[in-house]
Amino acid sequence: MALVLHTYKGNKSADKALIAAEYVGVQIDVPSDFQMGVTNKTPEFLKMNPIGKVPVLETPEGSVFESNAIARYVSRLNGGENSLNGSSLIEYAQIEQWSDFSSLEIYGNILRWFGPRMGFMPYSAPAEEGTISALKRALDALNTHLASNTYLVGHSITLADIITVCNLNLGFATVMTKKFTSEFPHVERYFWTVINQPNFKKVVGEVKQTEAVPPVASKKAAQPAKPKEEPKKKEAPAAEAPKFAEEEEAPKPKAKNPLDLLPPSPMVLDDWKRLYSNTKSNFREVAIKGFWDMYDPEGYSLWFCDYKYNDENMVSFVTLNKVGGFLQRMDLARKYSFGKMLICGSEGPFKVKGLWLFRGPEIPKFIMDEVYDMELYEWTKVDITDEAQKERVSQMIEDAEPFEGEALLDAKCFK
Amino acid sequence: MALVLHTYKGNKGAFKALVAAEYAGVKIEEAADFQMGVTNKSPEFLKMNPIGKVPVLETPEGAIFESNAIARYVSRKNGENSLNGSSLIEYAQIEQWIDFSSLEIDANMLKWFAPRLGYAPFSAPAEEAAISALKRGLEALNTHLASNTYLVGHSVTLADIVTICNLNLGFATVMTKKFTSAFPHVERYFWTMVNQPNFKKVLGDAKQTDAVPPVPTKKAAAQPAKPKEEPKKAVQLLHLLIRE
Repeated sequence: MALVLHTYKGNKSADKALIAAEYVGVQIDVPSDFQMGVTNKTPEFLKMNPIGKVPVLETPEGSVFESNAIARYVSRLNGGENSLNGSSLIEYAQIEQWSDFSSLEIYGNILRWFGPRMGFMPYSAPAEEGTISALKRALDALNTHLASNTYLVGHSITLADIITVCNLNLGFATVMTKKFTSEFPHVERYFWTVINQPNFKKVVGEVKQTEAVPPVASKKAAQPAKPKEEPKKKEAPAAEAPKFAEEEEAPKPKAKNPLDLLPPSPMVLDDWKRLYSNTKSNFREVAIKGFWDMYDPEGYSLWFCDYKYNDENMVSFVTLNKVGGFLQRMDLARKYSFGKMLICGSEGPFKVKGLWLFRGPEIPKFIMDEVYDMELYEWTKVDITDEAQKERVSQMIEDAEPFEGEALLDAKCFK
Repeated sequence: MALVLHTYKGNKGAFKALVAAEYAGVKIEEAADFQMGVTNKSPEFLKMNPIGKVPVLETPEGAIFESNAIARYVSRKNGENSLNGSSLIEYAQIEQWIDFSSLEIDANMLKWFAPRLGYAPFSAPAEEAAISALKRGLEALNTHLASNTYLVGHSVTLADIVTICNLNLGFATVMTKKFTSAFPHVERYFWTMVNQPNFKKVLGDAKQTDAVPPVPTKKAAAQPAKPKEEPKKAVQLLHLLIRE
């Protein structure tokens, strides 16, 4: 049985093990049918790694998680006779010191800079400032060391270089522009030399340094800058499209919400939400039928939405995060809406299709104003006299699969 | 020349190396006149660790920084012992738990703890995310410890030493009984380990905090980083516990 590395394509942390394998002369298989968000949630996977993260290495003797640990394991295969782990106890320890340093001081801070700008974590300007400051402090220390050392330890590539350069690679690819790294010229020398070594190049390919930091897409900043049409096509961000940031505080509608002033409707949204949630079987006969029985086309409206930029949705968990972020920002509208977001397809580009029920005859203005994601979708009002459209609504509520000929990666409900 | 560990007293990073030394039968001296903020800014110190953090281990062959790396060195100083497992896969799994406890547990616990002590900007959504990530990590650990007495194999390894020292800081500062009761197997594991003689010698009497430190006031939050004067005694210990 070969060694099997479970990971999504392009995982910079997985590169560490693969590069080590090149140096050691060990074969590692990377299954191409790995689906992030799916494969790593199965019981079999969780037995290998109870926290469900990647990468994970499956070996005949057992499994290993944590990218540095995997790289260490690989580096000791084939008898362990290689120079990756140094030639003395002190060299070994110093290899470990740089491996940990680059993970905690460099990679950790890069992630805390990059993640919030991509919407993976809450964004906060003071926190980002602290993170960049800590990153600079670390790069400064690394720069000092590399002024008089070609490699981190000894006179040839060790595991410390493999781990450190893979950690730096995430930074170079996403947030560390040339302007930023030019303060650390020895780090630059080191990075470009090592990443162009054949065993690195085989695994990571061509490496390009990002030209810009992904912008923070705050609601306030975004709205004046963007006209309703297509600003996105003009930008050319190297990294994944950074159109969304984590929410700052979703402002609650102050004073009277115009929707509260509408004439009363026989439909009570909470009743629908309860019916939806409590129906465990015969969903079509009970919940869907119940929906159409209680639906009030005077007091409410139904809308289809289609994400305008599906061609960007190549990575499953990024796509899922995008939709998750949208639903978080809809929190201020919870009292007046119900939504289903379907992420369709068995591989990228995934298509995001939504179905929304809103109080009132139109999409409420305060939602269009406050929820930045709304303008990333095409909105069409559902014509309930059209049986095909009605059926589409029903299918979206019940998570019909296949939906319009495709498998569902996920279906998220906003209620 | 003995091994000399440069650190302030009570540094959980230093504890890892000291406990490993007890198990490996290695002698470590703690540098007597170490002054945090002074000694670690001297040129001699920065030659040993250019980022100027602690702990740092001085050996006849050279210096080592990063607490986990120091612990690894100490665990191998006297040759073969059970701290690093008895096979390649055991060794790798020890490394996996060492990294896991540092990245998934310690890092998130610090993100919870440090802003409340004014060492980093406080933000409620960030704290919520940190606690959520910490719970996720503890849950995974709890699942593993439901059917494993130790993290790897059937006796204490370096993984246990690093993980327990990390958990110890959490128990002492932000993780109340109410919080940890959701992870009963982690509790079992923690209390058993901190009461082993080699741990007790270094950690002393482990205590669990009764309450989470309060959110700092606007003034404290606006001025993070190192306070020059010594804060009051209760806070002082906590301050020392996190300064690496």
